[in-house]
Amino acid sequence: MEKTGGKYDFSLYEFHNLLHQNILVSYKGPIDERVMTVIGENIEILTNDGNDRTKSKIFKIFMELAQNVWLYSAESCKTMSGKQLGMGTLVIGEFGDYYTFVTGNMVKNTDVEPVIEKCEIINSLDRDSLREYRREQRRLANQGKKNSGNIGLIQVALTAESPLDIELTPVSEEESFFSLAVKIKKKTVKE
Amino acid sequence: MEDIHIKGVHEAYFMPTVNFEVATGNCEISGESYLEETTKFYAPLLAWIREYTASVKGPLNFDIKLSYFNTSSSKCLVDILDLLKNYQKAGGLVTVNWYYEDSDEELEEVEDFILETGLQINKIPMD
Repeated sequence: MEKTGGKYDFSLYEFHNLLHQNILVSYKGPIDERVMTVIGENIEILTNDGNDRTKSKIFKIFMELAQNVWLYSAESCKTMSGKQLGMGTLVIGEFGDYYTFVTGNMVKNTDVEPVIEKCEIINSLDRDSLREYRREQRRLANQGKKNSGNIGLIQVALTAESPLDIELTPVSEEESFFSLAVKIKKKTVKE
Repeated sequence: MEDIHIKGVHEAYFMPTVNFEVATGNCEISGESYLEETTKFYAPLLAWIREYTASVKGPLNFDIKLSYFNTSSSKCLVDILDLLKNYQKAGGLVTVNWYYEDSDEELEEVEDFILETGLQINKIPMD
């Protein structure tokens, strides 16, 4: 983006329109508990087509995935009090009969393989196996043998009842952009 | 030993309401659980159960009514259930009532806690 006469050389209107289509909430920047609170409340207000079950699903998924960006993004900044905040992008979209929640953040190429592997394992399992996997991973985490970041991803897949749609875009020798999207069906009440 | 009474707070973080009574062994965890330092919050609760089961040795009746808890809280909940299971194995009287809202996913989660800890948990739908 070139600066021309104090203004950025891009149309904010076009940017707005691009975001406007199907997007309920979008945020890019550092993530902390205040950002989480505001977006959490926005989910409650904006997902009107969803019943309470759907709202709580989106909220649960948002809490786990936004937390992951906050804690694990390779791009971060420091607050005045010295707190490290991960930076990334959070998007909540609405399409026909489902909502999507997407997170995106930079990752170090050296760290990304285990995450991709974890997502692939999760996507390969049926619901019962996924539940067993959550029990197993929670047990390992409680015994201090594994970190708990994994359980969040398993939880997200179980709550969404859909696979983790991941995409990795190489940015440089050291880093890539990692995005993770999940679909949440609007009507999940028993038919 | 003393009772634990914590009033739940729903701000940027969500602190559950906790009431643990020495005299009756009645224990309640309710509301929502999403904390800045999850293990730090749950440590005194675990310590209370350890002390109660070692010195008071009375019955323990747990009512868990959480409408939301994140995954790191779920690890601490498993720690609590593990202690209760151990107490039961050692001959202690333990009842756990888990109140859930009307969703299959929550019910599954309680069933998984049962499988994970081997503890019997009564599943009760919330009104």
